[in-house]
Amino acid sequence: MHWRKLLRVLHRDIGYIATGLTIIYAISGIAVNHISDWNANYKIKKTTQKIDAIPTDVSKEEMINYVLKTLNISEAVESSFRPSPTELEIFLKGKTIHLNYESKEVTIETVNPRLLLKETNDLHLNKFKGAWTYIADIFSVALIFLAISGLFLIKGKNGIKGRGSWLTLIGFGIPIIYLLLYNFVL
Amino acid sequence: MKNLVLFLFLSVLLASNTYSQEGVNYGKKLTLNEKTPISELFKNPKQYSGKIVQVEGLIVKVCEKRGCWIDIASDEEFEKIRLKVDDGVIVFPLEDKGKIIIAEGVFEELIYTKEDLIEQGEHQAKEYGTKFDPKTVTSGKVEYRLKGLGAIVK
Repeated sequence: MHWRKLLRVLHRDIGYIATGLTIIYAISGIAVNHISDWNANYKIKKTTQKIDAIPTDVSKEEMINYVLKTLNISEAVESSFRPSPTELEIFLKGKTIHLNYESKEVTIETVNPRLLLKETNDLHLNKFKGAWTYIADIFSVALIFLAISGLFLIKGKNGIKGRGSWLTLIGFGIPIIYLLLYNFVL
Repeated sequence: MKNLVLFLFLSVLLASNTYSQEGVNYGKKLTLNEKTPISELFKNPKQYSGKIVQVEGLIVKVCEKRGCWIDIASDEEFEKIRLKVDDGVIVFPLEDKGKIIIAEGVFEELIYTKEDLIEQGEHQAKEYGTKFDPKTVTSGKVEYRLKGLGAIVK
C-alpha cells in the first residue's frame, strides 16, 4: 500500500475513535478554562433568611429538629457540626444549613453537580488516576498522530508544500507570539 | 474492535479511586494501625510536627474550586483541622461533606505573617464571593494542618 494511502486509512480510523474523547476534552477544556468565573463542576446556590426565635438551653439535636421544623425541611440529617459556640451546621444530602445563633440567620447551601459536565471534567483532569492515566496518554499520542499525519494527507498546492505550510506556521506562531508578548511586553 | 471496546470499558472500571466495603479510597493506601485524636495534635503539636498521623472525623468543608482541601471536625467541640493535598493529586468531591473520613497525612506547622493572612483572606473572599476586611487581621499566626497522603471516605 502506498504510504499516503496508509496514512489516510489510519488518520480516518483513529480519527473516528478519537472523536468522542476529543469532544469530551474540548467541552471540558472550555469549562475549566473559565474556572475563575464559575464552578465548572457544581451549581452552588445559597439562600439566607432570618428565623424569628432561637430556643436557649437545648441540646444540639433539639436545635437541629427545631431548625428543620421551622424551615419545613423533612429530609434526613446525615450529620452536624458546631464550628463555634454560636454556630451550627446541619448536613443533608446535597444541602448544608448554617445557623448563626446571634444573628438568627440561616443560610441554606444547595449543591448540585453539573450533569455530564462534571463527568467530562473528571475525565479531562484525570480525577480517576490508575488505568485512566494510560488511556489518556494513548489518546494524547493519537492526537499527535492525527495532527502530524494531517499535514501529509493532501498533495499539491493545498498540501504541506503549498498553503499548508503557511497555515501550519500560523498555528505554531499564535502560542509562541503570545508567550513572547506575555513575558516581555505585557 | 469489540476487544478494544471491552478493554476500554474494563479500564475505566479499574480506577484508582476505588470503592471497597470500607468506602471510597483516595490517594495512597493507609499504612498506620493507630488513629491519633485531632485534639491531641493541637494539644501537643511539637510532638507530632513532621510526622505521619492517621485521623478520623467528619468532613465539614470541602474546597469548592478544586477539591484540594477539606476540613475535618475534631473530637473536641468547635475544633477542626485542614487536610490539604496538591492540586489534582486527590480531588475531594463536594458530596463528601458530612461524611466520615479516615485520613493519613503529615502534620505540619505553618507560620503566617500578618501580610500572609491578609493575602489569604483576600484570596478566599474572591474565591467564595464574600467580603473581607484586612483590618480584622492584627497579627500573624501559627496554623496546623495535615498534608494529605491518603484517605478513605465512608
